[in-house]
Order: sequence, then structure tokens, then C-alpha cells
Amino acid sequence: MSWALLSLASPLLAALLALMIRHGADRIVLGATLISLIAAVLALASINGEQPVSLNLGGWEQPLAIRLELGHLSALLMILTGTLHLLVGLYNRVSDHGTSSRSDYWPLSALMHAVLLALWLSRDLFNWFVTLELLSLAAVAMVTLSGPKAYAAALHYLMLSLMASLFYLLGIALLYGQEGVLDINQLAQQLTDTPITRLSLLLMTLGLMMKAALWPLYLWLPDAHANAPTAVSALLSSLVVKGPVFILWMILWHLAPAPFAEQLGLVLALFGGVALLAGAWSAMTTPYLKTLVAYSTVAQLGYVLIALGLSLRWQALELATALWLFIIAHALAKVSAFLAAGEMQGTYGRKELTVVKGATLTMPVAMFAFAIAGGSLIGLPPSGGFLAKWILLQPMFTSPAHWPWAFTILAGTLASAAYVFRVVSLSFDQPDITPGSLTQNLPAQWLSLLPALLVWGLALLSHPLLLWLSRGAVV
Amino acid sequence: MTDVQLFVGLGLLLWLLGLHAVMTHRHTIHRLIAINVSGSGVFLVMVSLASRGEGVDPVMQALVVTGLVVAVCATAFALRLGSARQQSHDEAESPS
Amino acid sequence: MNFLQQAMPLLVVLSSLIPGLIIFTLREDQRALRTFLNLAGVSVQLVLVALMLLGVSRGFSFKLQLPFIPNADLILRADALSLQFVTLSSVLWLATTLYAIGYLKGSAQHSRFFGYFSLCVSTTVGLALAGNLITFLLFYELLTLTTFPLLVHRGTREALKAGKIYLAYTLTGGTLLLLGIVVLHSLAGSPEFMTNGYLQAFQDDHRLTLTLAFALLIAGLGVKAALFPLHGWLPRAMVAPAPVSALLHAVAVVKAGAFGIIRVVHDVYGISLAHTLNLMSPLLWLAAFTIIFGSVMALRQNEIKKRLAYSTVSQVSYITLGVALLGPIAAIGGLVHLVHQGLMKVTLFFCAGIFAETLHVHRIQDMNGIGRRMPLTMAAFTVGALGMMGLPPIAGFVTKWYLGMGALEMGQPWVLLILVGSGILNALYFLPLIYRGWFGLAPERWPEDTGLGGGIPGWRETHWMLLAPTLFTALASILVGVLAGTPISPLAWTHFIVNPEFGL
Repeated sequence: MSWALLSLASPLLAALLALMIRHGADRIVLGATLISLIAAVLALASINGEQPVSLNLGGWEQPLAIRLELGHLSALLMILTGTLHLLVGLYNRVSDHGTSSRSDYWPLSALMHAVLLALWLSRDLFNWFVTLELLSLAAVAMVTLSGPKAYAAALHYLMLSLMASLFYLLGIALLYGQEGVLDINQLAQQLTDTPITRLSLLLMTLGLMMKAALWPLYLWLPDAHANAPTAVSALLSSLVVKGPVFILWMILWHLAPAPFAEQLGLVLALFGGVALLAGAWSAMTTPYLKTLVAYSTVAQLGYVLIALGLSLRWQALELATALWLFIIAHALAKVSAFLAAGEMQGTYGRKELTVVKGATLTMPVAMFAFAIAGGSLIGLPPSGGFLAKWILLQPMFTSPAHWPWAFTILAGTLASAAYVFRVVSLSFDQPDITPGSLTQNLPAQWLSLLPALLVWGLALLSHPLLLWLSRGAVV
Repeated sequence: MTDVQLFVGLGLLLWLLGLHAVMTHRHTIHRLIAINVSGSGVFLVMVSLASRGEGVDPVMQALVVTGLVVAVCATAFALRLGSARQQSHDEAESPS
Repeated sequence: MNFLQQAMPLLVVLSSLIPGLIIFTLREDQRALRTFLNLAGVSVQLVLVALMLLGVSRGFSFKLQLPFIPNADLILRADALSLQFVTLSSVLWLATTLYAIGYLKGSAQHSRFFGYFSLCVSTTVGLALAGNLITFLLFYELLTLTTFPLLVHRGTREALKAGKIYLAYTLTGGTLLLLGIVVLHSLAGSPEFMTNGYLQAFQDDHRLTLTLAFALLIAGLGVKAALFPLHGWLPRAMVAPAPVSALLHAVAVVKAGAFGIIRVVHDVYGISLAHTLNLMSPLLWLAAFTIIFGSVMALRQNEIKKRLAYSTVSQVSYITLGVALLGPIAAIGGLVHLVHQGLMKVTLFFCAGIFAETLHVHRIQDMNGIGRRMPLTMAAFTVGALGMMGLPPIAGFVTKWYLGMGALEMGQPWVLLILVGSGILNALYFLPLIYRGWFGLAPERWPEDTGLGGGIPGWRETHWMLLAPTLFTALASILVGVLAGTPISPLAWTHFIVNPEFGL
């Protein structure tokens, strides 16, 4: 647990330091991120194969205490967060299209890192509310870093996010009014199936779905993600929307009474199916490169919704493994896709999709990164996306009644192939410019390739990963 | 109807009112006020629920205080962002 | 030895993968290094394959097993069937690489082309060596990804359109295959391929599921094998550069589909289960129809490459036909056609490429008298075409002979009619080309003669790097036919593959 606390404290401290010492903020934050990542790895090692460890903050006893808990899932998510923050931070430092070394990106990203870690570790409804609020504020502030053109999108994002928080807060208030506790374990033990329970869970679900941009409450996402600076888009799509999903999974799996969970699960899974196709359709028709990647997030969250919904509906814990695999695979692939797309947009100087024309010749590394990240989004073997899809498909053939879900997932696969290859096939076209005329930044392009390679290598790690995730899901 | 129920009902009403206003209005300040009305509704629900048992539930009060802090910060941020957007709009419109 | 037995299959895959990856990083002007890497990779691969052939024929086994996903390991192993395919791929890789170097001289983007070219061979080899369905799926999908860049290499509008259609077909096929594999996996896990299959235990309780899975698998594999009505991508794909078409039609893509069908029938379901479930009659009819359909369509084409493409649709279905007959002799005919069709079709595509590159001849009516200008190429073309018709002693004859005997053995004499009909159609669409080439009236001057290689009929009729591989594969098509009775022929090896399946 002490490793986890170190991992949490290090970016938090760096955020404060970076605010005070603007000169060299980048080095402070990158260093702290590295420390946090190492500590997260050690935290996973310290609980490997054992029961989760709890810590009551400030030494208070339950039910007053705020409890942190370090399990396999939390530790894995901490490592994911650290890895991605490090990669994206390095990209932002190296790229010609990143923000400057003195910009507000550094304290804000460090704050976001710390808040995410706190979210993964919390097991308390109200603490989650606080982390959610901080996360949204940091995220909105980071969207504005790309200047006045992003203010409208940022404001829209902030308003919706505030409204979503009120849904969630009202849910907590009603639930606490009924039960008098906020800790998720205690709630799980004593909660009974009353109309108030159902109403409050529904309110929280709606609020979290809005924050996570789950279909049909996703309308704020494409603008905000596409208008943010590239590094920020990458963080928003890969990590920030996953925070609310984590809370949603926790409260629904642990608190929702079985009959309610089955009804809600069906609705969520149906939404997921629609999200897969609707998001892909928007991605297929948008004329802008980064918007395409943003819509792809909407579509990919459809898989997450299906896994979440069906695990509730069938009370199938193994589907939770698929859920987390999707989240990890999507996070890695999406970082790659956004960094590559942003790097190409910056280098070519236009934001239309058509900039990638001939990119396999003019910017081969970035384009390759985009293509193989796309491969994982489609779910081609042996990528992480494939692994997740494989596990999701397993229980679908136990009874013919489940077959329609399998076909939905397949339709989603083909739809995501359609928008990925929309970009890829354009990149094989003859370029309009000569390759030599661009000022390329190769390190930045290689950095965008790295997470995509990681997600393809995930299959090699699949054994320990699945073991950790299946343990993590039980917690 | 007890006092608690009355105030909880009132709070829910405020919350709904704010929600309705957020969805129907376009102006930034209008929407921000609507959100704050909605927020006050939630806080009203919370403080009334704090007195549901014997005495007053201190945890609930602490939650309300925390919630208020968060709400004030977020509102301030939204106002700043809104005015910055207005400024950039104005600059874009007046070619000086 | 033990370690080597494990490492061998991986090394074969790596022998083309590593050169491919290095080639990506090369600059355009590093031509010598690129050629060296290509040739070094292919030589290493040939040596490794020869060693494995020797080993397997003496009863050694080569297998590498890595943990992949739960209950489904990644298995690469060399058995008799996989080695047949691997040998074909690496021999034709050698020929095609030489040809491609000659063919692409003077055009740009070599590093991208040869990089993907090597990756494509790696995935083909990996697919051949796949030891269970999940490994097969992995390489099957990767094959789609590595061939797409080759297909659209020219970057023209037409090429991009063909590429999109190719992707639409093959990715859909890949998803269907995935579904079929998931169905079987949830029933029986993903054990290794084995003689007579591993599904007999489920034949009483899960008839419907097994049939559904079979339909899904065949639909998924049928796309690449260009079975009617899933063949639509193939004729369009001939816009690719000639060496790519040659590789696609002879080994990489269509053969991957056909090879998959063989694997599913023989080593997943097994002959007896396929009998019990009566899975084969629809496949048999489909294959027979595709044979006739492809030939008829070929007859209607005016472009040489398009005619060859439809001919592939028809010829690859011979393999499916042989397998679907479920008899040992027919199976030998089908399996050996994997090699025979590959050699003959690669020759034909090489020739078509030479005509196009040297004289800009693309259409059949422009072939008049081309035999006098390019006698060697035309001779190679004639060998390939006559082989396709089934004339002894060229390879195609052996196939037809075994297929016919097999059909009689299984009491399906109507298949003979299909074979004869297809032979006649083949003659109808190939003989005019041969006739025009040798006896047609040559123009005074070839209008668009590029003078490649010197422009003198004979050894210097075109660039030697184009001519040499073509003559090599033409010669090979004759040799495998002439030497069919000897123990070193593909036919003898096919006996070695097929006999255990039928308990002989």
C-alpha cells in the first residue's frame, strides 16, 4: 500500500511544484510520472497473488473513514495511467506541435494523473464524486490549452460535466439518506432492493454515462476531444472517460440488486450495440481526421457498454475481464491513434482527413502507428483488442438466444474496419507533396508508435494479465 | 408529511427546474445559473436528509460543505471560461 | 536437437520477417543491400525448409508451442501437409523476388514494396505452419493486412478501389472465420490439428452447432479461396503489379483459403465426421459450379490478366473439389493441385507481366505473332496454358487424372463431366492465345516496344531477371508432371500426407 501512496503523492506534489516553478516544469512532471509508474509497478508486485489491501485514511474507523483499497485491478490501472502519462508527456515535450515547456499542460497533466490514481484507489461514493469533479476540471482546463478556438467546446464540456455531477451527487444523497454509509463494501452488505435504491442507482448511472460519453450521452465528446491539443486529446480519450466507467462498473456490480441489474444490463448492452454502429458511422462520414479518431472512441466505448451490460445481465464475472481488457487495449491504441493523427495534422498543417493522402510515403512512421493502432481497434489478432473480443465472444455460444449479440459484435468489427481503412487506404494514394518538403519530427512519430506496439504485444502478456484481471474483477 | 419529506421534495423540484432550464437555454450565464439552481436543489435534499434521524448527521453536513466548495470552484472556472470565449468572439468580430 | 526442433518453425517464419522489417528502414537508393537482404532471407528459408522436409520424412516432428490465450496456445509445427505449402511458398518466393526486382526497376517506393512482400511471405509460411485454428486465424488475418499494401502499391484510383473491395471481402471473411472458430472453441477448446479431427466426441449431441460452425468456417475460408459467390474481389485484384498478382494467385491468398479448407475437413472435422454430418455434398456442388462458372467467365474476358484471374477462380476449386469428394485418390488430386496450380499459374502471370512490361501488350487481340518476338516467354506461356488444360505430361494432367479416378472411386461419375467440361472450356479460352501468339500475323514493328534487355528474340528478348524465373517455373511445371511417379515428386509427398487421413 505504501508504494501505491507514493505513486499517488508523486504526481500530486509535482503538480504543485510545477505551478510554482514554471521554468523546467516539464522535467519535474516527467520525473514524477516516472517515479509514480515505478511505484505502481512495485505496488502490483507487492500484492501479486494476494488479497487486496485496505487503508483507512487518517486512522478513522469505519463507517466514518474514507477507505482506499489496492487490488490487482487498481494496480493495473495505475500502471496503465502512469505509462500513458509518461508517453504522452514525452511526446508533448518532443513534438514540434506540443505545448511549451512552461505551459499549463504540465501542472494540469500531473494533477490529472494524481486524480486518476485516487479514483482507481477509492472505494467510497463521495470520494469518487470529488475525484470526478477534479478530473473534469483538469480535463476542461486542458482542452482550453489549444487557445480560443477550443473555448466553446470546453465550455460545453464543462456545463455537461457539471450537470452530470449533480445527477451523481443526488444519487449519492438519496442512497446515503437511506443507508447512512458511503463505503462500497458496507453498502454492498446492507443494501436492500427499494425504489430509492433503484432511483439513486439510476441517477448515478446517468451521471456517469454522461461523464464517460457513453451512447446516447456522448454529444460533448467529439468536439472537446478533437479541438484539444494532441497530447490532451490522447489523455482524454484513453484515460479520462475510463474513470467514470470504473465507478459505474463498481457501483452496478456491487450494489445493483439482481433483478434491477438484469434490466439495466440489457439496456446498457443495447446502447452499446447502437454506439458501436452509430459511432462508426459518424467516423466514416466526418471530414476531419481528429474528429474521426474521437468518434472512434464513442464506437469503442460501445464494446465496453456491451461487456458491462452483459456481465450484469448474465451475472457473468468473466465478462468483466473482457471489459477491462477493452479498456486497456483501447487506451493504448487510442493514444497511438491520437498522437499519430495529431502529428500528421500538425506536420501537414491542415485538419482535414485528406491530409493523409500518400502518408505511407511522406510520414511512414506516424502512418504505420495509426494503422496498427487501428488494427487493435478493429480487433485483429494478436492485438489486445482481439484478446478482449475473444473473451467477450466466449459465452455467446452457450445458447442460441445469445447469438444476436455475437453478430452485433461482428457488425461492430466490420464497421470499425471501415473507418480505419478509410484512412489507411487514403494513405496509400499518391502524395500531392514530395516527401522531402516536410520538416519531420521522427522521435515524436516513434513515440506515437510505441503504445500501438505495446497493444500488439499484449497477447504475449495475456496469461498474467488475464490472471490479474480475473482476480481484480472479484474485488 | 414531515418536514424532511417536504424539503426533500422541494429540493428535487429545484433540481428538476434547473435541469429543465439547462436543457432549454442557450446563453452561457443562463445555463450556469440553472446549474447552480439545480445544485442548490441537491444540497437542499442533502441537508434535509441530514436531519432524518435523531439529531443531525454530521457526515451529510460535511458532504454538503465539500459539495459547495466544488460547486463554487467550478462556477468560477465556468465564468472565466465564458468571458474568455466572449472576448475572443468580440476580437474576431471587430477587425481592429 | 530438441531445442532445434522447437526453434525450426519459428526460424522459418523469421527468415522472411526479419529481412522484411529491416527493408522498411532502408532508403530508396540502398538497392544492393535490399537485394542482398531479400536473397539472403530466401536462401536461409530454403535451407531450413529442406532440412525440415528431410526431418519430417524420417519421422521427426518440429513444433513450437507458446502460451497465447486461455485454452488456446500459439502452435507452430511442421507436418507433411504444412511442409508442402511451405516449400511451395519459399520456392515461389525466390522466383517472384527475382522477377519483382526486374519488374520494378525504375519505379519508386521499393522499400515499402519489398518490406510488405517479405511480410506477406512470412504470414503465408506462418499460416502453413499453424498448428491449431487460433494460430491459423492469426496468420489468416495478418495475411489480409500484409497483402493489402501490395495490392494498392501503385496508388492509382483503380488500385485503391480494388483494395477497398478486397478488404471488404477478406475482412468479412475473417470475421466469419473468427465466429466459426469461437463456436468450436467454446465446444472443444482449440487443440492441435490431428489426423481424423478432434470433434467426433460431439457428433451426437451437437450436430447443429457443428454444422453451423462448418458453414461459418467454409464461408470465411471461401472468400480467400474465391469460391462462388465470394470470388468478386479476385478479378479486380489483378490491377496489382504482376509479381503481386502472381504471388496472390499462386500461393499467398487463394491458396491460404484452399489450404484452410483442407485443414478444416481433414484435421478438424475429419473424414468420418464429415461423412456422418453429410457436410460435403453442398461443398462439392459449390466447387463443381465454381469450376464451370470461372471458366465461362474467363472465356468472356478480353484482357490477358483478367482471363487468368477467372481461370484461377476455376482452378483453385479443383482443390476444394478433391477434398470434398472424401476419397483418398481424389484427396491426392486436390492436394497435389495446390502445388501444380501454383507453378502453372505463376508462370502464366509472369508471362503476362513480361508481355505488358516489354511490349505493353495487355489485351488478347494484341498478342498476334508475339511468339516470334519473344519465343522463350511464349513457350513458357504455352507450357502453363497446356498444363491448365490438363495435357500430359505437364503437371495439370496428373491432377485431373487423380480427381477423375477419385470421383469414380467414390461413385460420383458426374464429376468426370465437370472435369471434361472444364478441360474443354480451358482449351477454348487458352488455345486462341497460343494460336495468336505463334501463328498470328505479327505487326511490322511493335508499337510500344520498350526494348527491355536488348529486344532480340531469345535470351535477350526481355530483362533476364524477368525471363529466368519464368523459365524456371515453366520447367518445374513440366518436371513435376514427368517425374510424378518418382519418390521426390510433390505427388509422392501428397501420398505421404493423405494416406494417414484415410487410415491407409
